[in-house]
Amino acid sequence: MRFRIYRYDPESGNAPRMQDYDLAMDPAGKKVLDALIAIKDTLDESLAFRRSCREGVCGSDGVNVNGTNVLACITALEGLKEPIEIRPLPRLGVIRDLIVDMAQFYQHYRAVKPYLINLDPEPENERLQAPEDRAELDGLWECILCGCCTTSCPSFWWNPDKFLGPAALLQGYRFIADTRDQATNERLDFLEDPYRLFRCHGIMNCVEVCPKGLNPTQAIGKIKSLLVKRAL
Amino acid sequence: MRQVAGARRGLDMWLVQRASAVYMAVFLIVFLALALTAGPLDYAAWRGLFAPLAMKVAGLIFVAALLAHAWIGLREIFIDYVHFLVARLALYLAFAALYLGCLIWAVDILWSVQ
Repeated sequence: MRFRIYRYDPESGNAPRMQDYDLAMDPAGKKVLDALIAIKDTLDESLAFRRSCREGVCGSDGVNVNGTNVLACITALEGLKEPIEIRPLPRLGVIRDLIVDMAQFYQHYRAVKPYLINLDPEPENERLQAPEDRAELDGLWECILCGCCTTSCPSFWWNPDKFLGPAALLQGYRFIADTRDQATNERLDFLEDPYRLFRCHGIMNCVEVCPKGLNPTQAIGKIKSLLVKRAL
Repeated sequence: MRQVAGARRGLDMWLVQRASAVYMAVFLIVFLALALTAGPLDYAAWRGLFAPLAMKVAGLIFVAALLAHAWIGLREIFIDYVHFLVARLALYLAFAALYLGCLIWAVDILWSVQ
């Protein structure tokens, strides 16, 4: 199988380039990550990429394969058009090869205060929640912060420093939707901004690429609905 | 400099864009239904469509909705692509003036129909 992989080492002073690899591998049942590991093991040990759990849980191997952001570990090699082009996630700085600098992404994540804010005295065991209230959080808590959605969003490409991006907004809504949280108003105050929230024009790239099948656009829509509700 | 954001704005524009879209959709359906049931659409019939005051008012609101919708859309584009703030402000104002002119022109056109 033929691969064309983005190579860049900022410290070398050389410009980024695409490097071709011919790998003898039967694609049946294999994932893109298997091929990356095989290339590193047998062809080029200098190739750098992140990976950890290799089963779509940790979210560390988000890459762009043939133009689509995916998790390498759960993307089947079969059916991919050759040469299989593998690039780092778009718009983030490249540390080396397929490893991107997630600092901006995490900064937006931290900005939405992704934790429960509740000033009541702590209960003996846990903060109870009705099953139907808990059900509100389904489709929100599953996010693994791989960055596939945010880096596929043109609004993030044009204003990466100001637009929070789908991942952070989904997490923002996860705590807005949580009945145990008491900072809904403050959270909405923070989000009500032409940049942070309203750069989203609902083109749904995020929904298309999310490896966990989540729907950030819907969460963003719900934030907007709450803002409207609050303002009227 | 520290990142400045958090203007507590954007909701109004977003709402106006949605509301104007709804109005335009409803107006176009009603207007098409009226036009198609008005018989053969010759010059006199077309003029006749715009003769009632209600149609003039509804038509003017349509133009206003269209221009507001277009201006907010342009504003979004400028925020995305024009990062030099002086140029962005100049574009906002230029299109606001242009569209305001169009609105006044629409008044002149609509009320010229007797």
